[in-house]
Amino acid sequence: MGNPLLVLWHWIFVPRPGEDEAVDEQGPWRIVPGSEIPRPGTVAPPTASATSGAVFLVLRRMRVPLILLLLVFSISVLGLTLIPGAQPDGGTEPMGFFEAFYFMTYTATTIGFGEIPYEFTTAQRMWVTFSIYIAVIGWAYAIGSLLAMLQDRSFRREIVAQRFARQVRRMPEPFLVVIGYGEAGARVAHALDRRGRRLVVLDRSQERIDALELAQLRADVPALAANPRVPGTLVAAGLTHPRCEGVLALTDDDEANLAVVQAAHLLRPGVPVIARAETPATAARMAAFGQPTVVDPFDAFGDRLRLILRTPALAQLFDWLVSPPGAPVPPRPDPPGQGRWVVVGHSRTVAEVSADLRVAGAEVVELDPAREAGPEDGAFVDLVAGAVGVVAASDRDTQNLSYVEAAQRAEPDVFVVARQESPGNAPLFAALHPDLLLVPAEVVAREVLERLANPALWDLLQAAKGQGDPWAADALAWLVARCGPGSPTVWQVRLDARSAPALVHRLAVEPVRLGALMASPFGRQDPLPLTALMLVRGEDRVLVPDEETPLAVGDELLMAGGPGAQRGWDATLGEDDALAYVLSGSSVAISWWGRRLLRTRT
Amino acid sequence: MNLEKVIFGFFVVLAATLNFGFVIGDIADPELHHPYELFAAIVVNLIATVLKFGDRTQLGAVHLATSLVASLQLIAAGIVWALVQGGGITAGEMSSVVSLAAGALLANVVSVVLLIAETISFQRR
Repeated sequence: MGNPLLVLWHWIFVPRPGEDEAVDEQGPWRIVPGSEIPRPGTVAPPTASATSGAVFLVLRRMRVPLILLLLVFSISVLGLTLIPGAQPDGGTEPMGFFEAFYFMTYTATTIGFGEIPYEFTTAQRMWVTFSIYIAVIGWAYAIGSLLAMLQDRSFRREIVAQRFARQVRRMPEPFLVVIGYGEAGARVAHALDRRGRRLVVLDRSQERIDALELAQLRADVPALAANPRVPGTLVAAGLTHPRCEGVLALTDDDEANLAVVQAAHLLRPGVPVIARAETPATAARMAAFGQPTVVDPFDAFGDRLRLILRTPALAQLFDWLVSPPGAPVPPRPDPPGQGRWVVVGHSRTVAEVSADLRVAGAEVVELDPAREAGPEDGAFVDLVAGAVGVVAASDRDTQNLSYVEAAQRAEPDVFVVARQESPGNAPLFAALHPDLLLVPAEVVAREVLERLANPALWDLLQAAKGQGDPWAADALAWLVARCGPGSPTVWQVRLDARSAPALVHRLAVEPVRLGALMASPFGRQDPLPLTALMLVRGEDRVLVPDEETPLAVGDELLMAGGPGAQRGWDATLGEDDALAYVLSGSSVAISWWGRRLLRTRT
Repeated sequence: MNLEKVIFGFFVVLAATLNFGFVIGDIADPELHHPYELFAAIVVNLIATVLKFGDRTQLGAVHLATSLVASLQLIAAGIVWALVQGGGITAGEMSSVVSLAAGALLANVVSVVLLIAETISFQRR
C-alpha cells in the first residue's frame, strides 16, 4: 500500500497494524508442515478490511469528470491569455496566466466579480461566453458524478462498515459481542447496558439495527447490519479484539449460531461463548467447538417450570437476584399440588417440558394439536377436567390462546402455562391471566443474563438448588432485612493484598469475624446495608455464611448490598484507618472523615 | 493493445517532455523559459495525476505518488512566477521558478522509468 491517498484512507478507516499484524507476518498462505491439522488460533484471522474496493471504484469513476474539468479550465485560461485586451493607455496586452486563472475561477464557479483588471474587448467577451458554457457543463457533470457516487448503496454500506470497525477498534472498555438483535438479543443487550456492560451488536437485518439506534442505550453501542456467518464480519465486530470478553450468539437461526461458535473457537480460542441452540443436534455440534455455554429455550423453560413447581421460593429468590438493581421482590409463584398435567404442543417442546414435569413428580398427558383434539373438542375438555395444570406450548399464538381460554373455561382453578411466540401478542396473553407465561426469547435472555451477571452468582444459584425451599424463603427474608426491598447489587471480592489490603494486614495480627466488617465506615453505629451471599474457601462453598465466621486470606466472598453499600465495604477493606474504626471504633478519630483530613499520607 | 494504456503512457511521457522542455536552457534567463510551456506542463501533469487515481497495485501507488510530487512542484513554480511577474522578472526569481520545475522533472523521470519497468515486466510474462 504505497498510494498516498490509499495510505491516508487506510490510516483513517482501516484497523491499525498491531491488531491484525498476524496477517501481515504470515501472508495469505500458511504452510502447515506434513499432515498436521492447524490448531485453533494458529490461523491468521481474516482482516476486516478486505472490502475497501468501493473507495477505489469511486476514485476510478471520478477520473473522467476531473479530467474534463481540468481541460475546460485550461482551455478557458489559455484562450484568455492569448486574446489581446484593451488597456487604459490605449495599448493591447493579453491577460497574464494568473489573472486569467483568477478570472476563470470566480466566473466558472458563478461567483462573478466582473471584468478585471480592465473592461473586456468584444473578442474577450466572446471567448468568456464560450468558457462559461463549457465550465458550467464541466462543473455540473463533475458534481453530479460525485453526488451519484456518494449515494451509491455499496459505497455507503462500505462507509458504514468502516465506521463500525473503527468504533469497535477504539472500544475503551471490555465488551461483549452480541450477535442477533432479535427479541432475545434485544432483551439481553438492554439488560447488560443497564448494568454498565459495553456491547457490540451484529444482526442481519438493517431494521433491527435501526431499532437499536432508536432504543437509546446508555453506552455507545456500535452496531452493524451484516451477515454474522462471514468470519470477516465477526472480526470487524471485535472477535479478535484484545478487550473482547465474550461472544453471545443469539440469532433465531441455529445454523448461524453454530457458524459463530465455530468462528469464535477457531479464531479466538478460549473466548467465552454463549450460544442459543434450539435442537440437541446443534447443541452437540457446538459442543465440539470449545465447549460453549449452550442455551436451549425449551430445556431452560422446562428447568424453570420444574424449579417453580418444586421450589417456588427459590424461583422467586433467583428472579430477584438477577433482576436489575433496585427492582422490587417479584411475587412468589403459587404452583398447584400433585396431579395430572396436560401438555399441548409439538413433539420437541412437549418432550422437554413433560420430562421436567415428570421429574417434578407430575402425571403428564401429552397432546399434539396437529393430530389430536382441538381446544373446542370435548376430549380436551375432558382431559382438563380434574387436571391441576395445563401447558399450552404449540408454536402458534392463536392456538395457544384458544387452549388457554378453553382450559380456563373447563377448569377455572387450573394452573395455566402459556407459550407466547410473538411480542405483539403480549396484551392478549396478559388479558387471559395465565399463571405462567413462556416467552422463548425471554427464557433465553434470562439464562444468558444469569450466566453473565457474575460467575459467582451463577455458582450460587447452582449451589442453592441443592438447598430446600424453606432455606430460600429464609434467605430472601434475610436479604430484604439487610439490603432493603430493592434487588441488591451483587459483587465478588477476593480477600487478597490487591483488593483488600487493609483486611489482609489486620488478619496477619488478629482474627476478624465476617460480622465485624458489617458496620458502616461512615458511622459505626449503623450497619452497612449488605450481606455475604456465599463464602468460597478452596473447594468449600458456604451459602449465606454465618456472621461469626472467621475470615482468612484468600477467601472469596460474594456480597449483596443495597445502594452505596459497595462503596463503604470497599473503604473498610481497603483503608487501614477505616478498618480500625469499623472494628474498634478507635478513639483517636472522631469520625472516619476527620481522620482522613488529619492524617499525613505516607 | 489497450487504449487505456496508450492514453496513460501518452500523458505520462508528455508530462515529462513538456517539463523537460521548460527546464532546459540557462536557469536564470527568462528568455529561455516560456510561460505557456509551464502552463502546458501543469495541465498535463494534473491530467496524468488524475489518470493514476484508483489503481490498487503497488506500482500504481508509486505512480500516483510521483505524479503528485511533480504536480505540486510545478504548481509551486507557477505560483512563484505569478507572484513575481509584476515588474519584470529578475535572474534570481527566474532561477527559483526553473529549479522548482527541475525538481518536478526528476519526479516525472521516475514516472517514466516506472512506466518502462511496468511495460518490460508485462512483456516478460
